[in-house]
Amino acid sequence: MTSFEHDVSARSLFFTWLALMLLAGLSLALRFAHIGAFSFPVALGIAFVKALLVALVFMELAFEKPTVRFALLAGVTLLSVMLSLMVADVLTRTIPPLEDPPGTAQRYHG
Amino acid sequence: MTTIDVGVIPIPHGRGGVRRETYLNIAHTVKSWALTTDHKRIGILYLVTTIMTLGLGGAFALILRTEHLTPQMTFLDAYTYNRMFTMHGIVMVWLFMIPSIPTAFGNFVLPIMLGAKDVAFPRLNLLSYYIYLAGVVWVLVALWMGGCDTGWTFYTPYSAHSPSAVVPTVLGIFILGWSTIITGVNFIVTTHTMRVKGMGWFRMPLFVWNLYAVSIIQVLATPVLAISLAIVGLDHWFDWGLFDPARGGDPVLYQHLFWFYSHPAVYIMILPAMGVIAEVVCTFSHKNPSSYKAIAYSALGIAFVGFLTWGHHMFVAGMSQFDAAAFGVLSMLVAIFSAIKVFTWVLTMRKGSVVLRTPLVYFFAFLFLFVFGGMTGVAVATESLDIHWHDTYFIVAHFHFIMVGGTLTGWLAGLHYWFPKMTGRMYNERWGITGATLVFAGFFLTFFPQFLLGNAGMPRRYYYYNPVYQPLHVVSTVGSWLLGAAMLMTLGYLLVALFAGPRASANPWDSRSYEWYTPSPPPKHNFTKEPVFALDPYDYTVPFPGVGDEADGSLARDPGGAANG
Amino acid sequence: MAEQVVEHFEDMEKQAHAARLGMWIFLASEVLFFSGLFALYTTYRTEHPHGFGVAVEHNTLAWGSINTGVLLVSSYTVALGVHELRRGRQRTSALLVGVTIFLGACFLGIKTGEYLKHFGEGIYPGGVGDFYREHGEPGTKMFFTLYYCMTGLHAVHVFAGMCVLGFLLWKIVRREIGEWAPHPLAIGAVYWHLVDVIWIFLWPLFYLIPGGSVR
Repeated sequence: MTSFEHDVSARSLFFTWLALMLLAGLSLALRFAHIGAFSFPVALGIAFVKALLVALVFMELAFEKPTVRFALLAGVTLLSVMLSLMVADVLTRTIPPLEDPPGTAQRYHG
Repeated sequence: MTTIDVGVIPIPHGRGGVRRETYLNIAHTVKSWALTTDHKRIGILYLVTTIMTLGLGGAFALILRTEHLTPQMTFLDAYTYNRMFTMHGIVMVWLFMIPSIPTAFGNFVLPIMLGAKDVAFPRLNLLSYYIYLAGVVWVLVALWMGGCDTGWTFYTPYSAHSPSAVVPTVLGIFILGWSTIITGVNFIVTTHTMRVKGMGWFRMPLFVWNLYAVSIIQVLATPVLAISLAIVGLDHWFDWGLFDPARGGDPVLYQHLFWFYSHPAVYIMILPAMGVIAEVVCTFSHKNPSSYKAIAYSALGIAFVGFLTWGHHMFVAGMSQFDAAAFGVLSMLVAIFSAIKVFTWVLTMRKGSVVLRTPLVYFFAFLFLFVFGGMTGVAVATESLDIHWHDTYFIVAHFHFIMVGGTLTGWLAGLHYWFPKMTGRMYNERWGITGATLVFAGFFLTFFPQFLLGNAGMPRRYYYYNPVYQPLHVVSTVGSWLLGAAMLMTLGYLLVALFAGPRASANPWDSRSYEWYTPSPPPKHNFTKEPVFALDPYDYTVPFPGVGDEADGSLARDPGGAANG
Repeated sequence: MAEQVVEHFEDMEKQAHAARLGMWIFLASEVLFFSGLFALYTTYRTEHPHGFGVAVEHNTLAWGSINTGVLLVSSYTVALGVHELRRGRQRTSALLVGVTIFLGACFLGIKTGEYLKHFGEGIYPGGVGDFYREHGEPGTKMFFTLYYCMTGLHAVHVFAGMCVLGFLLWKIVRREIGEWAPHPLAIGAVYWHLVDVIWIFLWPLFYLIPGGSVR
């Protein structure tokens, strides 16, 4: 093996894969459990953990230089910024009332 | 004492003498240019192509301005007018401004500035050029099919239903985007991995910092444009209705996606120009920057904060007030970094030994116009003011002050500054300074009246206008003719210099930045041995050490050169 | 010809580092490429919680879940393939990469089956199809349009990943990469893993998360 390549052991790879399959199974099981409003955060939370496992172990991000980790972090951060401000827009839109606020009618039309 | 060996390989010359090998004369075949992986040749390919796209976009601008001489039809019908301003924007933004400085000058000088032989991925570099060319071709196809009329912003729902050539246009831009991303990846990896031994991050020329910051934006923002345009294409061709309210869509979300890219895009356009300015100010003041780190860090600051401000383009679009407030505050923040740069450049000149040459004249133009444009940017970032100025000529003037007054001026400064390095010839300074003055005058005459027009209520993208606005329109149009003439004049004297100008020495400006440590023009591999830059790139306290082999007189510092003239 | 140091790099280590850094920066841009669609999904689900919920019920949960398993296994096989190559076991590595490509093809096959099933039920993108006569909420139409968009774009990336791995498999077989220079496979595998990670998020969004009540 070359001196500059880090390697992950076959054991670690196997157990990571097993964890991934179990988490996927959990997601599927929770699909049928009626947890109402929690389904969104829970499902995405499990997905996030799975993604982290793939990234850190399979993609060997845990052993990469900080520059590389920063590149990915930048991408994910911007995704969050985009998502948050777009959802915030949709959640905070108000439809202004059709009538003038009390008191202004006299000021402008009185 | 430098240990740079720049390889004097004699080439038999026509009249029995010997000629030094350069990246230009080493091979003359079409194949040697078409399949080159030499970053310098690729830079020249990009330079020539972007000059042509500048000409195309400029021609559209002149036609638009001439149409506006009269309030009614002058010689274009309304549909043609709409397509004209759309294609003007598209050609200028994507075919000229975004590539202009990084792909032409960045490609040429970046590896030399780092003491490297080439970029990290030279074949990918060539691929990026051909992808760029493919994108240009598709936009030309779109033009041939009549062009697109949606505005360069492609707002839905109109872009989904427009009868014009929307799909080939967005396809062309989609393709161009990948060229930008590849260039960005290449520059980032080059900066990380190919610096010569001993060159830490804070010993790089400042142009590299700005290219690095630009590359980060390019890599992260451009994919969002790609998906936005892909969706416009799907909606237009297949009627998928992703922004159609009847099918669950929301047109405002298109604007969120589009501007998420397009606001950072304006920083893609201005940051490289700021990099050129940093180099020019130091060289022509014969002085180190008043704060190296301020210029370096502010570039990164612009790159980061620039991603957080996009909603200020959407104050009247139907976005929530909460978001409007957030974006307003964030937009104010980004101006801070530009201000830091402006003060740093100006303070650099203090106690310097200033030499007035064309690039520095362009810097003065840049300073005035960019500050003007930047301040109006802060003004329109204020929502309560923008609801009156939005979609008027005030906005048009604001962004032209930055894009033309800033980026184009920076590009012209870079073109003159690196002309001797790239071509081995010197242009005529009198023509240069005249040209710069005329460009500035033409620009100001064109766009200053547009602030007044916008403030008086003249809407943008309007074909007919109220006759009360005509006098200002006429002034603006005459200004545009002057600007066009000045640009043509600049092209003219530069072409003359290219073929008949006096030979330039390795360092005609007596700069200390590292690209001047090779001959003009450089040999194919920039350096034959790993260079050792003994001096800081802005150390003007000692004389320039000279460049390698003195046996061939053209390599030595020119004793009677332009630097002393 | 075996992987050699290209002339402007000092040594293989620097070259490997540059290639790896380049791939990760490209991955960051791929993340941003999908971001716009994920943002649209999230925002539209916020605007149409009921419509999205109805649509999820009518998606092909079994096949989608099998596909999740397929991709997770394929990530495992390619990671193992890299490991084997680093240990000098060229043939095992080639076999594992081959299995990965095969699993990718299975994924695409199942996906095609799913699309055909949707077409059979009258579910087309753009709100077109008989299905929407009964389930015509705007949110339901948008769900499936986004579904075709995002899984379609993902499928394109699966195919691209298969091509990349195919090219690397050819290099392994010809002994152009191996124990002395395993990084091209490691870098190609990283691209494959990204494709898997994207699906890890697509699966719950389009198959698992039930809808909310009307706002």
